[in-house]
Amino acid sequence: MKMIIPSTNMRSKKRIVGPIFLALLSVALLLASCTVKLIGDYDDTIDKGVTDVQQKAELYLSKLQSTPNTPYDQGFYDDIYARLAVLKSRASSLPKYPIIVEQLANLKSQFDDLQKLDKSMARPFPSGAVTAAESAISVSVESILKLELALKDRGKASAPSLPKAK
Amino acid sequence: MALDVGTLATQMLGAALPILKKNAQDAESFAKTEFTKIAQTIVSIGEQVASGQINQQQAGLLLDMQTSASRNVLLTLQGLALLTVEEAINGALSVVKTAVNTALGFALIA
Repeated sequence: MKMIIPSTNMRSKKRIVGPIFLALLSVALLLASCTVKLIGDYDDTIDKGVTDVQQKAELYLSKLQSTPNTPYDQGFYDDIYARLAVLKSRASSLPKYPIIVEQLANLKSQFDDLQKLDKSMARPFPSGAVTAAESAISVSVESILKLELALKDRGKASAPSLPKAK
Repeated sequence: MALDVGTLATQMLGAALPILKKNAQDAESFAKTEFTKIAQTIVSIGEQVASGQINQQQAGLLLDMQTSASRNVLLTLQGLALLTVEEAINGALSVVKTAVNTALGFALIA
């Protein structure tokens, strides 16, 4: 009995798996009449815009690092917020871009925190706090740029070779 | 020419697997680098509080910045995963394209 049951199960499994695979393959083929795209295209404006934001932040934080008595500068935050708002609007208008929209929102949130810190911190501004803030912003910018560059390189990898059928 | 499910599946899997493995390694390397930076910064924030350079409220703001950085790393990993799946699907279809189109007599897979 024990020998018969698995054998029957194997046959019935094969009978079930075959049509399911064919159905999945058919759906995939129908969907694949054009190339599958799950995330939006590379955007040069966002790439350069985020790099500009990082450059401005680096400049401000470097100044705080080298001259810890530098006073709070509202103009810096106004400029950064304006740039981030423009980038977020652009990202929101691009198809399949919710990930980068959320990343820009997180980056904005980091500048909100930095602004509160900057306002509340007595001078001289502690060097370690500048480093910690700079590192967090840098990780966010690098994350956004990593994704943008991956989008830019999409499809550039060599086509997979045809494996030998067994 | 008749289409053979087993052959097609083997070819598709053979095309998709290397893409999934390679991209997973790239993503792991990126995540490791970025999370190491975040971990180092969190340790540094603790040391600054202990030495009295910053107060607890200021430490909270700096920690919140690290949390946002972590979210952005994870979002990038999510985006890279989507790109990987996309590449694997397209790679899998491209290797069976000629066989399928020839067997069917029309270009089903463009």
